[in-house]
Amino acid sequence: MIKTVDLKKSFVGRGQTVYAVDGVSAHIEPGEVVVIIGPSGSGKSTFLRCLNGLETFTSGHIMIDGVDLASKKTDLNLVRREVGMVFQQFNLFPHKTVLENIILAQQVVRKRTRDEAEKKARQLLKKVGIAEKENEYPIRLSGGQQQRVAIARALAMDPKIMLFDEPTSALDPEMVGEVLEVMKQLALEGMTMVVVTHEMGFAREVADRVLFMDQGKLVEEGTPEHFFTAPREERAKAFLKQVL
Amino acid sequence: MLCAGLWVATKKIDYTWRWNRVPQYFVYVDEALISAPFDARVASLQRSGGTTIIKLTGEDGEEKTFEVDNDSLKVSENEELFQGDYLGSTSVWRFGPLMVGLWNTLWISAASSVIGLIIGLITGLCRVSKNPTLRSLSVAYIELIRGTPLLVQLFIFYFFLGTVLDISRILAGISALAIFAGAYVAEIIRAGIQSIPKGQMEAARSLGMSVTQAMTHIILPQAFKRTLPPLAGQFISLIKDSSLVSVIAITDLTKSGREVITSTFATFEIWFVVAFLYLLLTSVLSQVISWVERRLAISD
Repeated sequence: MIKTVDLKKSFVGRGQTVYAVDGVSAHIEPGEVVVIIGPSGSGKSTFLRCLNGLETFTSGHIMIDGVDLASKKTDLNLVRREVGMVFQQFNLFPHKTVLENIILAQQVVRKRTRDEAEKKARQLLKKVGIAEKENEYPIRLSGGQQQRVAIARALAMDPKIMLFDEPTSALDPEMVGEVLEVMKQLALEGMTMVVVTHEMGFAREVADRVLFMDQGKLVEEGTPEHFFTAPREERAKAFLKQVL
Repeated sequence: MLCAGLWVATKKIDYTWRWNRVPQYFVYVDEALISAPFDARVASLQRSGGTTIIKLTGEDGEEKTFEVDNDSLKVSENEELFQGDYLGSTSVWRFGPLMVGLWNTLWISAASSVIGLIIGLITGLCRVSKNPTLRSLSVAYIELIRGTPLLVQLFIFYFFLGTVLDISRILAGISALAIFAGAYVAEIIRAGIQSIPKGQMEAARSLGMSVTQAMTHIILPQAFKRTLPPLAGQFISLIKDSSLVSVIAITDLTKSGREVITSTFATFEIWFVVAFLYLLLTSVLSQVISWVERRLAISD
């Protein structure tokens, strides 16, 4: 479903070239839930953002469902509608109600009728458990509710892949659970998911595979059991010691 | 205190206030005298409401009808008239120069605001675009317009462009004002767009929207809301700046005021009235915009 080959992303600052992503090759199967963990500044968010073209990458290849993002002929807008993304800061559209947030892209991008889009939106709001808030503006929702709306908004496009960029990092602790619950549900339904998170519990419980990144490199990958109990690399051991 | 001070000061220079002369420059009764065009006999008089219809028959059988106000009727039935005899008069309420000036100022400002907003929007978008040509063109336009006085721009538009391209003074005035306002609006719009968090554009793009779709549905509506207060200020300025078009002989409120003064010498009164009329226009605009602001505030 997703395949990256020697992916590199560099930033040039103060005359130095810094590699945020430095030669990552990974393969993500359909229906797989992959969790990316690593210390801050390790390039995991940048890697994730490369996957739907929000960051342009310097070299290498990304194949999404057989389409090469590096190719000039690729229409990124067509790829993005198949790849949903959930952000740390929710990024709901503040001037639109919850329902309109979910409807807009369906109408504008997927060209669905208002009725179809509304039906889909209500169905998804019910699924994420906030059906009663459809006419509220985002500002009146709690962080957890906003993030669930953001998930519903991404799902409304019927994406084949969902990317989560630290979806619970901006939430109050008591709201983390409700968002993780929705994500778990999604994983059970067989969605292909790539999740950048600091929630080790989620990684252990839900992930099919864990990728550990440090300084832009993919340091270690494996099943959660393997990674959390017997990591091979020193860097991974040190990191786990800090967070567990 | 202030009023008393002013009263004493004007008393000292022997100024006679003639406020009673002012209203006639808003609306006045225009009386038109009607006289017989040829030697004739009054064939019939017919009253209808406040006016009388006079039917004249000439010596060679020629017939003609006129309408005059009842109380101005000077003839009776079967009366013989000579050419030039008064039949009566009609009176019509007409707008005086101050109203005409007010109306001109209003529509000149409105037209140049709308055009200025469109120019500003396009330039503002060019200003934030990735295309270096568009960006530097918009910067050049903004710098050029912001860096020269509006009065000079008006003269250039009227005397140079007006002559070369053969455009009327009104068109020259409106385009000078619109292009002037556009430069400021462009900067306001740019600030508005840049004040929207980057995540909004990213979220829209991640849903598969193109840059144009994201701009029209997500960024601009939010930017518009944020830029309303400075835009209001800009358009209020534009109403006031429109007084400068009087220098290219457009009969706006200011020029009308000057004309009235030349015939009344009521200098003080007229300038106060003109100032008050500008204040009226600008405060109505303020009210309208704050109403829109309140409407848009529901999502806060």
